[in-house]
Amino acid sequence: RMSEVNKQTAQKCAKIAAGAVVCVESEIRGDVTIGARTVVHPKARIIAEAGPIIIGEGNLIEEQALIINSYPENIMPDTEGVEPKVMTVGTNNVFEVGCVSQALKIGDNNVIESKADLGRNVILTSGCIVGACCQVNTCEAVPENTVIYGSNCIRRVQTEKPQPQTLQLDFLMKILPNYHHLKKTVKGSTTPVRN
Amino acid sequence: MASLLQPNRVVYLVCGEKKIRSPLSQLYFCRYCSELRSLECVSHEVDSHYCPSCLENMPSAEAKLKKNRCANCFDCPCCMHTLSTRATNIPAPLPDDPTKTAMKKAYYLACGFCRWTSRDVGMADKSVEIIYQEGQPDRVLVFFHVTQEKYGLGTRLQRQRSGAPISSLAGLSLKEGEDQKEINIEPAQALDEVEPLPEDCYTRPISLPEVTTLRQRLLQPDFQPAGASQLHPKHKHLLMKRSLRCRKCEHNLSKPEFNPTSIKFKIQLVAVSYIPEVRIMSIPNLRYMKESQVLLTLTNPVETITHVTLVACEEGDSDDINSTAKVIVPTKELVLAGKDAAAEYDELAEPQDFQDDPDVVAFRKSNKIGFFIKVIPQKEEDEDVTVSFKIRHDFRNLAAPIRPSEESAEAVPEAIWLTHHVELSLGPLAN
Repeated sequence: RMSEVNKQTAQKCAKIAAGAVVCVESEIRGDVTIGARTVVHPKARIIAEAGPIIIGEGNLIEEQALIINSYPENIMPDTEGVEPKVMTVGTNNVFEVGCVSQALKIGDNNVIESKADLGRNVILTSGCIVGACCQVNTCEAVPENTVIYGSNCIRRVQTEKPQPQTLQLDFLMKILPNYHHLKKTVKGSTTPVRN
Repeated sequence: MASLLQPNRVVYLVCGEKKIRSPLSQLYFCRYCSELRSLECVSHEVDSHYCPSCLENMPSAEAKLKKNRCANCFDCPCCMHTLSTRATNIPAPLPDDPTKTAMKKAYYLACGFCRWTSRDVGMADKSVEIIYQEGQPDRVLVFFHVTQEKYGLGTRLQRQRSGAPISSLAGLSLKEGEDQKEINIEPAQALDEVEPLPEDCYTRPISLPEVTTLRQRLLQPDFQPAGASQLHPKHKHLLMKRSLRCRKCEHNLSKPEFNPTSIKFKIQLVAVSYIPEVRIMSIPNLRYMKESQVLLTLTNPVETITHVTLVACEEGDSDDINSTAKVIVPTKELVLAGKDAAAEYDELAEPQDFQDDPDVVAFRKSNKIGFFIKVIPQKEEDEDVTVSFKIRHDFRNLAAPIRPSEESAEAVPEAIWLTHHVELSLGPLAN
């Protein structure tokens, strides 16, 4: 698996920090950086097509979640002069099962619930919760602590940000290595995942 | 095609106080009057109250006292979802030794859908798991009570009138011994001087998250808060189980079980278990003024053999207002075998020998037959082709008392013949 990735240039392989738990069944393509204490479940997909993806610490990316930095619709992959844009994801975010995120900037402590769909031009600040099955493809920076819910994507502001999933992350970091092989970063000495 | 099986394709006519056309699955059959009944010609009575989230049963008197609301469950004032109780650990000083702190559990209400919490409105976390709403005076109820007394709707006797809509306030009767006194409500006075608007009314920026929607506001009619920080959770409304009663013979048609977790019925006199059901199986291309053959199925719900005759509607039939096509129904009597629940397991069963005419009966399968009718659309417009006919079948009333006859020891109830008017919607003309 890692040898296949080595075929590409050094820029295009995944850099997984020590302390991150990335299951081998997940699909990570392109230049992806994953921070410490982040858990990537099997069948999650992180695809850096049109530019690199940098994921911070303490994130929880569940099964069938898709984080993709793709080309905008009207631009062909071979067009010259297109700058690769970096997609950043902050700390303590939760990407629940089946969500799709193409947002270029995601802050901290956000929760993207199951089957939610974020467009490329949305910027999530911090403490935002995008409800299940909500599609947000506006061109805006969602204010802090906003909750988007309901079939009409109505919004309200909550008074406190969502709790970081530290308990869940600790549990998963203990249990997942018992059942799955983990991806480790290629360069440098491979530090064993702490149990 | 699944759309042919939609319930509103085949409707039966109910001759009650009003003529109602409804699919058989939504009708009831009074086997004492031997007539079809719809929801509009029966009286609805409340059987029991229960909370939809904790499924707790509540006797009617207690429900009335608690204003038809559950004591344990709450609704989110923001999205009306059910609130759940969450616990946090907070350090709190021990009662014995104020210098030491121990982790104590504090409970608050939270909504899983819109993420509203009781902390948003300033409700403090409680140390008891069940959070009771502080008593708030129910101004709405006082108003209703007053109007009722004024207009004399308070007595229970008025509710016995079958068929009259039962007002939910009819149960609020006065206690014995109290006089019905007239309370005068003063009409609202129109004033010249009104409170002036605040000065920064035009310049102050609106904070939209703080403004409540009309729905959120009107769900709390006594306070109708305009600000989201005043939206308090309300106790959950109870739902009720109802029983239906035929208005003519006062027998129960539908009586559910008392237990809220049970979906069964004590009495369930639904039409599909007594009346043969007509369903559409396949429709060819229908063309204006051209005869086509439509395949229908007829299912026998009872365990005895049923004989069914179809009769086309006569000219000038007052029930026949919707049909847009002429229909030619089979003239011979159709025989339906009884429903035998064990038939699929009984390998030695003799195949039924009914000698069906292949021009009329397409297939036969246990208690169901497929038969053809000929349809000639008469109108060229775009609307659905509708046909109607009468279906006449024999019905054995097992509920009626059996008169013992001298000849046979085993008395079989006499069969009576029932006729129903059926309308089928066959879809648009093919182009």
